Amino acid sequence: MDAGQQISGLLIIGAVVPLLMFVLLAFLGPRLGKPFASFPAIFGILVSFGCAALALQRWWYVLTDDERVEAAASAYSWPWVVLGDIPIRFGVQLDSLTIAMYFMVTLVSSCIFIFSRGYMSGHSDEVDGVSKYHRFFAYLSLFAFSMLGLVISDSLLFLFIFWELVGLCSYLLIGYYFDRKYASNAAIKAFVVNRVGDFGFIIGLGLVALFLKDLSIGGAIAAFQSQSSGETGLFARDTAINLFGWYVRGDIVATLMGVFLFCGCIGKSAQVPLQVWLPDAMAGPTPVSALIHAATMVAAGVYLVARIFPLLTPGAQAVVAMVGGVTLILAALMAIVQTDIKKALAYSTLSQLGYMVFGMGMGAWVGALFHLITHAFFKAMLFLGSGQVIEGCHHEQDMRKMGGLWRKMPVTAFTFLVGVLAISGVGWPGKNTTPFFGLGGYYSKDEILAVAWFQTYGLSAASDGHHAGNFRERATDPLTNAHGYDSVILAGYSAEEGQHQTAHAGLETASGLKSDASLQPWIPKWLVWLAIITAWITPFYMMRVWWLTFMGKPRDEPVYHHAHESPGMYIPLVILAIGTFAASWFLFRGLIVDAAQHVAHISKLVVPLDGHEHLIHAFSGPALNKLVWPAFIVGFIAAFFIYRRGLKLAERIIDLPVVEQFYWILWQKFYFDEAYNKLVLAGTILFSRICGWFDKWVVDFVLVEGCARVVKGLAFFSGQRLDAGGIDQVAENLGRTAFRIGDLFRAVQTGRIRNYVIYTAATLAVVISVMVWW
Amino acid sequence: MNFKYYIWVILLVSSAVLLCGGQTALAQESAAAAAIVPASGPLEVIFFWVLAIMIIGSALWIALTGSVVRMAVGLFFSFGGVALLFFLLQAYFLGVVQLIVYVGGILVLVVFGIMLTSSSPHVRYQVPRMELATTGLVSLLLFMVLGHVLYHAPWSTTGPQLPVSMNELGRGLLTDYLVPFELAGVVLLVVMVGAAYLARQEKR
Amino acid sequence: MFTAIGLTHYLLLAAMLFCIGLWVMASKRNAIGVLIGVELILNASNINLLAFARYSTGGMNGHLIALFVIVLAAAEAAIAIAIVVNLYKNFMSVDVDKAATMKN
Repeated sequence: MDAGQQISGLLIIGAVVPLLMFVLLAFLGPRLGKPFASFPAIFGILVSFGCAALALQRWWYVLTDDERVEAAASAYSWPWVVLGDIPIRFGVQLDSLTIAMYFMVTLVSSCIFIFSRGYMSGHSDEVDGVSKYHRFFAYLSLFAFSMLGLVISDSLLFLFIFWELVGLCSYLLIGYYFDRKYASNAAIKAFVVNRVGDFGFIIGLGLVALFLKDLSIGGAIAAFQSQSSGETGLFARDTAINLFGWYVRGDIVATLMGVFLFCGCIGKSAQVPLQVWLPDAMAGPTPVSALIHAATMVAAGVYLVARIFPLLTPGAQAVVAMVGGVTLILAALMAIVQTDIKKALAYSTLSQLGYMVFGMGMGAWVGALFHLITHAFFKAMLFLGSGQVIEGCHHEQDMRKMGGLWRKMPVTAFTFLVGVLAISGVGWPGKNTTPFFGLGGYYSKDEILAVAWFQTYGLSAASDGHHAGNFRERATDPLTNAHGYDSVILAGYSAEEGQHQTAHAGLETASGLKSDASLQPWIPKWLVWLAIITAWITPFYMMRVWWLTFMGKPRDEPVYHHAHESPGMYIPLVILAIGTFAASWFLFRGLIVDAAQHVAHISKLVVPLDGHEHLIHAFSGPALNKLVWPAFIVGFIAAFFIYRRGLKLAERIIDLPVVEQFYWILWQKFYFDEAYNKLVLAGTILFSRICGWFDKWVVDFVLVEGCARVVKGLAFFSGQRLDAGGIDQVAENLGRTAFRIGDLFRAVQTGRIRNYVIYTAATLAVVISVMVWW
Repeated sequence: MNFKYYIWVILLVSSAVLLCGGQTALAQESAAAAAIVPASGPLEVIFFWVLAIMIIGSALWIALTGSVVRMAVGLFFSFGGVALLFFLLQAYFLGVVQLIVYVGGILVLVVFGIMLTSSSPHVRYQVPRMELATTGLVSLLLFMVLGHVLYHAPWSTTGPQLPVSMNELGRGLLTDYLVPFELAGVVLLVVMVGAAYLARQEKR
Repeated sequence: MFTAIGLTHYLLLAAMLFCIGLWVMASKRNAIGVLIGVELILNASNINLLAFARYSTGGMNGHLIALFVIVLAAAEAAIAIAIVVNLYKNFMSVDVDKAATMKN
């Protein structure tokens, strides 16, 4: 048994164990009862985590680079069916990205499962006298299985199947309190909105199957690359493709394919314009919000884009970037005005997801995925912290009634603060390019920003393909200079650029790097500014949340009085806080860079590299020094001054004339929900009006009235001329005969099956006789 | 009312029809080609007649009796006769299946149905005698037409075939007939769920 | 005259069983009686299939189709009995004539 089989086997076992636990809980859950039903689920996820840790250890610390390539090729893969001439296999996509995602998902899930036990114990969970406690853990286990399956499957079709499964779990868990109207509404909303995105996704899958003839990720990418470099198939010149009757140029079809696949991400990662479901999804229990709607499932959209990244044409990438860019700023603005602690976190999740998608579009493959992983840790921690607060305050979610809670729940307050620092990208630049201290977003978000800046404005001075290590000295651009790349790899197919970058293994220099070649021609320049502005907003609203909740004076005595925290719940918080530090500093970025090397062969992406891989990232130094770095100081101080003495100052600011208008727009969430309601309603009404008009004028007037007039004319004619000729009599006789015949047949229709049987038999006999003796 | 005498009359007439029909057809076939006359020993002939009379007789009993319990008894003999007939046709596997499924399964199911649904086992719902006669006549008419066709049809018989072994059947099920086989499995599953759902006790 | 049995014997027997099954179906008011008629008809078809399998070329097709007929007959009987039990629950009777509330 070689390494590939071993590791992929571990991954499969880790995915299947939660499924078994789901089955167990589904059948035996009610008998296990309240505290015990959680144990199989926790056991299952711990087994998964063990498998993940073993796999990681084998993959990253035992195998060498070449052995990894071999292992990836020998991972388990089984044929399933052959659709037409497209074979569908179920296999394990074995690379560093899978390993990193798998490890992150199992680690975060383990913490959240354990937290859930504490959280659910204090919740009433009976509907009509039947406990549904076990369901919660059954669904969580099913979710763990689906999410792990999504991460490991190497076929787009299986990815889609697991994709739908996680959607189902999300639906089930949002609607966990299904006896409450708002929860079941939110669940339905999430499900329906996701269907809109998945509709696009499945069209994209169809296009992949149609034009690339392969649904496995590797195969589809290989077909895409060979077609684009050989200018055959989709990319053949002067050949229009018949797409449902329209003749379209092949490269446009290729762009459409990427955009349609990306639609799945828009739905699942809640990007504009389908972002409306995620805030409502907070109706689910808080651990669910942490696991599914912050850390893992919503990030699956970004994971999908990472997997199909080589299938994206520059046009499709521009769409991805724009969607992400618009989402990140809208969501950040909306987050400012939220008063519900979970809603505020939900909007910040939206904003961070926007960053990831934006980074994907900009080519910051590594940055976006790195941000995905750091974000998963600190956002899960933030949500769990809010869960602890909500639980401790007896289900009070309104931040206006909190305040001063740090005295009652110090550990929660501290871990929450770590999360706030991480999401705000707090860091302190050290000498040269090595940061003195940094956390979470300081590395990952700033990497996205740096790459975006690079893609927009290019390396104005480093245009002549020198050793990229030199460009640090040569570049006049303060931003990229400050960022201090040691090297940049840029490899890519690009039919129009004519040059095939083959920078292998990323650690080499970017010879042949041209500043213009790196520019994404489709992406507008203002887009990067949206991301930079948002980087200034983020620290403000996060600090606002933290200050309102934990600092200041208690604003509601009963809530403050009840507040408490329990070790069963804050231990996972501490683990996640440690995980946040760890994720920022080592392991994950190295894994992702390793994965990027294989993507970078065929696609254009930017990987800022440090000299010493998987150690502290020298590269991200004082990230975007002049423009972004001071943001957190300003944001924190602003939040501190406004909310220092409670809500009074904030209320006065809201009452200022222009601010008031703006506040209302934000409070109404940019009227997205209203717009959808109006659009769908107005559309329906318009459609019914058109139908009504058609009915009134075409059917009623032309057909009915017109016929009536013709008939009237005829009747007049016949009444005058023909009636006398005895037609009346004939008509009457005809009517009578018809009546009699009808009576006869009416008698036959007894309504008893057995009579019909015998009629059938008689008819059969007659028919055969006729056929034989005629 | 008592149908005893009718049964015997009808049974006699139908055996006569069977006899004459079969024998003359056989004569014609043998006249056409002597080689295709199936070689059947006297034992087979005797068994066939016994079984035919058993099947038809019990079926007629079912048709003429009014009590469901008697119908079930008649059904037992009819099914058993058909199973034995399968053995006679050298379809051993099918014979066994017939015994297990029909006699062991469906018949029991029917008896359970009877027990579950009759407030008293002797409740009878009779159709009018006139209707019984008409339906019988129509059925007879159909049989006459069918019999005529069967009798005159030029069946291309090639003589008795070798019996199909169970081995072959199993292989066939898992190769050429795989899809129907799997579908049958799905159907059975659905039926199981559906029947349990339909017949379940409503929660009040 | 009694010396040999051929294909036609079996076909006539099956036809006879079929017609009797039809008669049973058409002349019973008891839902279970109707079901029994259906089973007789299915048996008749099976006799036909196996007779052809024995006396004509076709290999094992006849056997396998007969097998599927048996499977479907069993399924059909299970559902039918379930329906009959339901009918009994709703109308307190298995008289098919009483279950004619859709009429008129």
